[in-house]
Amino acid sequence: MPLIKADQSLDCKGLACPMPIVKTKKAMDQLEAGQVIEVQATDKGSLADLKGWAKNTGHQYLGTIEEDNVLKHYLRKASPDEIKEQKKYMHVITNEELEKKLVSDEIAIILDVREPAEYAFNRIQGAFSVPLGELENRLYELNPEDSIYVICRTGARSDMACQLLAAKGFKDVHNVEPGMSTWSGPTESN
Amino acid sequence: MSTKVAIIASNGGLFDAYKVFNIATASAATDAEVAIFFTFEGLNLIHKQAHHQLPLPAGREHFAEGFKNANVPSIPELVEMAQELGVKIIACQMTMDVMNLQKEDFIEGIEVGGAVTFLDFAKDANVSLTF
Repeated sequence: MPLIKADQSLDCKGLACPMPIVKTKKAMDQLEAGQVIEVQATDKGSLADLKGWAKNTGHQYLGTIEEDNVLKHYLRKASPDEIKEQKKYMHVITNEELEKKLVSDEIAIILDVREPAEYAFNRIQGAFSVPLGELENRLYELNPEDSIYVICRTGARSDMACQLLAAKGFKDVHNVEPGMSTWSGPTESN
Repeated sequence: MSTKVAIIASNGGLFDAYKVFNIATASAATDAEVAIFFTFEGLNLIHKQAHHQLPLPAGREHFAEGFKNANVPSIPELVEMAQELGVKIIACQMTMDVMNLQKEDFIEGIEVGGAVTFLDFAKDANVSLTF
């Protein structure tokens, strides 16, 4: 399994409850919204605890991998207004419409603009990963003539990505709404 | 509005202390507003000297090693963490009077109050616990 990229790594190995939670909270306070933290823990209870913690604090639990008896939890810091952000890009397609397109074999490029750790745990099969923050410098990897379906978790980051692509002369760009948070079609992970 | 957790601590052993402070720190770290009312033997858990050497239940002394092996933080460490996370600590005035204890006998940063001080906080709490 390739390394999952995180903005910060937090060592909670050997610590018992409630320390992994307390340390995660403190570390999360220092992060910027949208950043991803990796929490390394050996406390078996930390798996359920961190899921519950994320649910109650509004942050996003991405997933956990186990390596050599160490649990590596990945969480993304939510921004308070993430869901309320103004969406401006006009060409929108729903999850269901995109799913139908995929089934009917229409050739489409799915551009996933979430963070690599989010992409690693859960993505649409064949989706191409370019985190929003890197998009402007990686436009050369995309063809402006292609039909591109841009997806993120809730439609906010993909909205910004669509605006950027349209401004750079991409002809057929669609924002997928709401996005991976409610995607019910087939997915894959690392 | 955030979750409110109201805890009454009325026993003074090491097990009791862990129950109280684990829930309190975990809740506070999960953005809950937490207050603990320390009464009767529970006052030991915040007494300057006593909270460094809380007793294990009789016949359960062998658990001391288990605590060490599990790398569980000490009670003074948990208390400090709880305060850092904003847990409100209220010592019961009536019990202090009965036991002839002064505010200075306790750790820094506590409040002293009566039953209504706690009730005022607990009346709209989402979670109420007694240990």
